[in-house]
Amino acid sequence: MGRPRFKNMVSAVAVASALGIAGAAVPAAAATLNMAWSQDATGLDPHKQTAFSSLRLLELVYEPLVRTDGELNIVPAIATAWEFSEDGQTLTFKLDPEVKFSNGDKVMPADVKASFERILNEETGASSRANFLSIESIDTPDDETVVFNLSQPDAPLLTAMSSINAAIVPASAIEAGTIGTETLGSGPFVLDSWEPNSREVLSANENWAGGDVGVDGINISVLPDETAILAALRTNQVDFALINDPLVATLVPNNAGLTLNREPVLNYHVLQLNADRGAMAEEKVRQAISCAIDRQDVLDAALLGEGKVTGPLTMPAYATDPSELFCYTPDLEKARALMAEAGYEDGFSAKVMAATGEPPTAAAEAQVIQSQLAEIGIDLDIEIMELNVYVDRWLKGDFDMAVALNGGRTDPYTMYNRYWTKDGNLAHVAHYGDDTLDSLMQEGRVETDPAKRKEIFAEFSKHITEVSPWIWLYTGYSYTAANDKVSGFEANPTGSLFGLSAVTVSE
Amino acid sequence: MSLLRSIFAHPSGRIGGTIVALYIIIAVLGLVGLTPHDPLMQFRIDRLHAPSATYWMGTDLLGRDVASRLMIGIAQSFIVSFASVALATAIGIVLGLAAAWFGTYWDGTIMRLMDVLLAFPAILLALLIITILGPGTWTSVLAIAFVYTPIFTRVVRGPALSLKTREFVDAARTFGSSRRYILSRHMLLNLVAPLTVQVTLALAWALLTEAGLSFLGLGTQPPKASLGLMLSEARNLMEMAPWLLVFPAFAIMIGILGFNLLGDALRDILDPRSRRAEA
Amino acid sequence: MNYLTRRLVTFPVVMLGVSVLVFVSIRLVPGDAITAMLGTEAGLLTPAQRAALEAYFGMDQSWFGQYWHWLGGVLHGDLGISVTYGRPVMEVILRVFPLTLELALLSMIVALAVGLPAGIYAATHAERPSDLIVRIVAMVGQSTPSFVVALLAIYALSVWFGVLPAMGTFTPLWENPLKNLAQMILPALTLGFAFAAAVTRISRSAMLDILSDDYIRTARAKGVPARSVIWHHALPNALIPVVTVSGVEFGYLLGGAVIVEQVFALPGLGRTVLEAILQRDYALVQGSVLFIAFNFMIVNLLVDLAYAALDPRIRLGGK
Repeated sequence: MGRPRFKNMVSAVAVASALGIAGAAVPAAAATLNMAWSQDATGLDPHKQTAFSSLRLLELVYEPLVRTDGELNIVPAIATAWEFSEDGQTLTFKLDPEVKFSNGDKVMPADVKASFERILNEETGASSRANFLSIESIDTPDDETVVFNLSQPDAPLLTAMSSINAAIVPASAIEAGTIGTETLGSGPFVLDSWEPNSREVLSANENWAGGDVGVDGINISVLPDETAILAALRTNQVDFALINDPLVATLVPNNAGLTLNREPVLNYHVLQLNADRGAMAEEKVRQAISCAIDRQDVLDAALLGEGKVTGPLTMPAYATDPSELFCYTPDLEKARALMAEAGYEDGFSAKVMAATGEPPTAAAEAQVIQSQLAEIGIDLDIEIMELNVYVDRWLKGDFDMAVALNGGRTDPYTMYNRYWTKDGNLAHVAHYGDDTLDSLMQEGRVETDPAKRKEIFAEFSKHITEVSPWIWLYTGYSYTAANDKVSGFEANPTGSLFGLSAVTVSE
Repeated sequence: MSLLRSIFAHPSGRIGGTIVALYIIIAVLGLVGLTPHDPLMQFRIDRLHAPSATYWMGTDLLGRDVASRLMIGIAQSFIVSFASVALATAIGIVLGLAAAWFGTYWDGTIMRLMDVLLAFPAILLALLIITILGPGTWTSVLAIAFVYTPIFTRVVRGPALSLKTREFVDAARTFGSSRRYILSRHMLLNLVAPLTVQVTLALAWALLTEAGLSFLGLGTQPPKASLGLMLSEARNLMEMAPWLLVFPAFAIMIGILGFNLLGDALRDILDPRSRRAEA
Repeated sequence: MNYLTRRLVTFPVVMLGVSVLVFVSIRLVPGDAITAMLGTEAGLLTPAQRAALEAYFGMDQSWFGQYWHWLGGVLHGDLGISVTYGRPVMEVILRVFPLTLELALLSMIVALAVGLPAGIYAATHAERPSDLIVRIVAMVGQSTPSFVVALLAIYALSVWFGVLPAMGTFTPLWENPLKNLAQMILPALTLGFAFAAAVTRISRSAMLDILSDDYIRTARAKGVPARSVIWHHALPNALIPVVTVSGVEFGYLLGGAVIVEQVFALPGLGRTVLEAILQRDYALVQGSVLFIAFNFMIVNLLVDLAYAALDPRIRLGGK
């Protein structure tokens, strides 16, 4: 894919000579950032991709209407301003007139409309379609305004729109059917080439409305083994890297010249129980499991303490003090008593499944949980399987227990509606549902007052940990490591690498 | 007994034999539970503890005693290797004899099938079988056996073919011995020598393959231990806790060395003319 | 039928067998390209979306139909399209193959440069302490899995000598030979270690065999100097089995070193196949396994030819 790059160079020269400022547009310090990660993107369609690794790449190329900043506040991206109407049923955006796609075309309200219509079209298979179902119609009264007409007030809508899964793509590309095969976004970088499982080459988008990008481009290498990433950082073959394995991450600070950036994330480690199977159908047994598990101990042993014990709500704006939740202080006596009350004083046996390397700590977590549950007579058999097989069985809900790392969202409703509402499309994986959970989710969805929403979801959190369909454990960190040539990176709790647009590299 | 004596008279047989015997003793001790600690017990307060008087080879990430895990790990690796080689030998004998005895049609079909398996890269073949069946002890056995069956089939077919034409088989035939009798008595006896050598060497390869599969996470599953699995668990910890790397690494090396030395010695003793194995 | 003709006739038969075996086995693996691509989020697909994706991946046809279609393509030199790369399988393979080929060649160079002299030295000093040392080292080399060598080497280099292996963004040979060699040297040494051990052992025993042969003894009795006996009479004959062993080993290495490539983060053929299996990229698995088997068989055929050419005593009709 040498062609797009060549085209970019031509247009850069053309723009520079037209303005008579040849060379001045590029800061003197600009250079290429060499970067590494262990998991490669799996595809290029921003509306369909869900793999973390794909999102990280697409966030550099595409832009949504709004973004979330380091404190998870909604900040401008393509839109400069937005407003909900009094009744909460219309949402109006003013677009930034400076925003252009990397080919120089202005981002128009028609592009926004076409993008959301594509997401809402069931045939697209857009992964976040469910979050936008309240959108009834989209108006484009002038060249800078987009109006979303909603069927009901939808508080989480704005947050959902900040995801790269709601990226604005050119209407022309939708028509041509090239989304997913070619990339044309308004983000800070242009994807010049992609060799799956090997490398990506990105160059700065000189048409980016956000200002000058600090580097000329980014070369991303896919190094599946994170120890190799560390080795590459040490020898300065790589300036910047994404690290998943906490065991590798903790080694980074031991090296002079390398810094580790640790950012709490919304994704949560959880032990999913199957309340449709055997002893776990008993609420008391599930509660006993919750009481028997020492979450901090699992965290300390399997992740070297790299994380924080959490309840179901991992976003700071909604999180409550986990120690107030049911049995977050381990209590073996209570656990044994509960087992006896449920008629399982002699325990039972079950299987727990975990995926190889996803998360890297899964095997260790399963083994610690196994040893903790042995204390109350539960005999766990660990089944570690390749990620694909795991996913297959997870989707069918075919497991007794599962060690999982599930994705978090900035809004509790968008995060959990798929599991804990009656018609959630993953309710069969959750293996549990009750009227309280369902009605709390509905209330939370339509309530627009932040304080009241916080109360509703605190109630949700308290209830769900008490009925214990799942045992929420902890959240980890996302790690980035950089050498001292790199400066200016700002991490984001969503894991987004958008902060790379401000990074500079010294020679 | 005379074989045992000749092994110990042979320099590499002596060393190899001793290593293998020692490993078998360690494996048995591990299996019956005579380990310094419970290999599954997580002393989580003492995790990543360096080798000491309490923990001779240190502890791992979850605080388990490495020495004890090494013992059951050797046992596990041996069980997989012995079982898979036994299976490969059994199938190899049946196929090899069938090919030699029935000739023509059968011979061609069986040997082409073996060619197909041999043209398939060994580790990939094992990988595919395991991704189909799911990882675990017995699927590793099956996968490894599958990979080494062609070698045994060839080893059996060659001598069987030449034996078939020799006079004593003809003689036995004319004296009215039953087919089964001829097969089992004469041919098998004359195949024992090359097979013994091949089995010993195959054990070394099986250990190697098991270690590789477990290293990729497709062999033995935690909380059990095997030498390859211990190495893969040590991978990201080797700077913090080198003992996790060093002990299993040398255990694999010395174990395989033992079988290789023994195999060499057996080849010298049983078949002094041929120094080269049939690939 | 003569041996070579027979080999040539069975070649396509065996390739056909390999193609059926890989085709069936990859389809027996649970999970498909869709779950591999979407992960747990595949649960968000509606039945219609799933059906559309299945049609896209060609999973809606019968196995036989798929195989027939694929085989037809293969015969025309078309191995299909890889779903992960979105490119022709052949193109994907040819992009990673140079690395694998280079690694195999470098390992063979290491093996011959170390193994051959060591083997000859050991043979001419048979049963002396130096012979014993060479044999022990070779035995250890042959007994150590290459990934163990790799791990120990990385550890020893970085902790004891403060030298860091150059791992990272892979640089192809033609872009920057020096940088490329810096990255390849440790993997090549790692793979070359076991390879050299094999070469040492075979050249030693071949040399010993030849040195005890009658015509060498005759030459010696006639007063031909020892050095000349070794270099002009013994060595050329001893090289025959060395060629065989190196050829077979080289053939194996052309299939990619799955674990060593993984440990050293090299994007070679082995890693590509492994990832293709994990991502259920059927066309890529099929194509690359066929490619590997083809190379392996060709190399073996060439080794046999070389064997026949080098040793006039061999009559390939026999055996």
